[in-house]
Amino acid sequence: MSFLPRLSRPVCSSAARHFSSSAPRALATPVAEKPVLNKEFKIYRWNPDEPAKKPTLQSYTIDLNQTGPMILDALIKIKNEMDPTLTFRRSCREGICGSCAMNIDGQNTLACLCRIDRNGGKDTKIYPLPHMYVVKDLVPDLTLFYKQYKSIKPYLQNPNPPEDGKEFLQSPEDRKKLDGMYECILCACCSTSCPSYWWNQDEYLGPATLMQAYRWIADSRDTHTAERKEVLQNEMSLYRCHTIFNCSRTCPKGLNPALAIAKIKMELAAD
Amino acid sequence: MASSLLASSSKRALARRGPSFAKSLLVARPATTQSSDALYVPGGPIYKGTVNDPTTFPTPSRVHGSHHWSFERLLSASLIPLTGAAYATSPSVHPVLDGILGVSLIVHSHIGFDSMIVDYLHPRKYGAFGHMATWTLRAATVGVLVGVYNFNTNDIGLTELISKVWHA
Repeated sequence: MSFLPRLSRPVCSSAARHFSSSAPRALATPVAEKPVLNKEFKIYRWNPDEPAKKPTLQSYTIDLNQTGPMILDALIKIKNEMDPTLTFRRSCREGICGSCAMNIDGQNTLACLCRIDRNGGKDTKIYPLPHMYVVKDLVPDLTLFYKQYKSIKPYLQNPNPPEDGKEFLQSPEDRKKLDGMYECILCACCSTSCPSYWWNQDEYLGPATLMQAYRWIADSRDTHTAERKEVLQNEMSLYRCHTIFNCSRTCPKGLNPALAIAKIKMELAAD
Repeated sequence: MASSLLASSSKRALARRGPSFAKSLLVARPATTQSSDALYVPGGPIYKGTVNDPTTFPTPSRVHGSHHWSFERLLSASLIPLTGAAYATSPSVHPVLDGILGVSLIVHSHIGFDSMIVDYLHPRKYGAFGHMATWTLRAATVGVLVGVYNFNTNDIGLTELISKVWHA
């Protein structure tokens, strides 16, 4: 019965509601052909096979009325129909894998969650994540990012198995502390938007890794909280955060890494 | 069975192409793709260990960690009432308050400048230049401390100076 209210909503008349591309037969007048709405995309290109050639912005113009609504749809259309050498990461196309993180019009975000600006007069510029080594075109090298994530031991550490041998129990209140942190998909948008991470990424962990560090510090089932905090007690790993808030501003999942970092600082100060 | 067949056939394929090709596969790949001095090193020049090793942490030190942070925040917060108190009272009647304000201001700015050196001129990247910046800052801080002490004891003092400039 729960689906009944949905039926009362006005039914969208476009063909997209149906799973076929042809217009419904019930329409008396044929659907007018969509006008052409051209938009220019300027995309960062660099090819490792020609390392001496400088990176360039390559321009592609596509008809937005023949493209899906998101930047990723435009990229896939360009790769399919115009330039198969264009290289970018993508997988789930729905904002849960974090592969298509890139810098679109100056903002780090997921291409699959970023709508195309339908103003045809203005071009859209697409760069790889800033201040990372580029593997090719829009593909950054995230090796260090993953090495740092590994360094905070992102797994449950508890040598005492539960008595019933089944699972570690946790109160709903304790579980609630993990909300807003476990949702992180490690797309690296926040870390690569952080100036401190730009200048000192070899030593500073960056917002994404620090939020995951706190996700395990805050977990009531983990017994290694003291060790997890102790490793952050130095000048570089945590305290290079100067509360710039670029991380929280750019997060495509709407999370708040700056808050998690502030909580780590408070807990370390209270120790 | 299938895998051993595959392995032997690929070995044969290598042998047919001649020893030089097999050798070129064995030596480091960048040598074959390098066409300029802009060499791409997988993992980049700043990574330590293999790509599967986690990064390491420096030796834990609370003085550089949480104590430093707490001290800096408390100092910054206490500067607000200190400045207000120095403004409300007369510096010649309360010279100790004037002195505390002078020292806190200098320590506060020392921590701020030191943070900039750690961010932008860290010795691990800038070597001798970074060390030079650190020691220049230390010398400057000591010099300013001595100067403010002399100014506060032999002259009108910081608070008086600011109020004079303000009313000028």
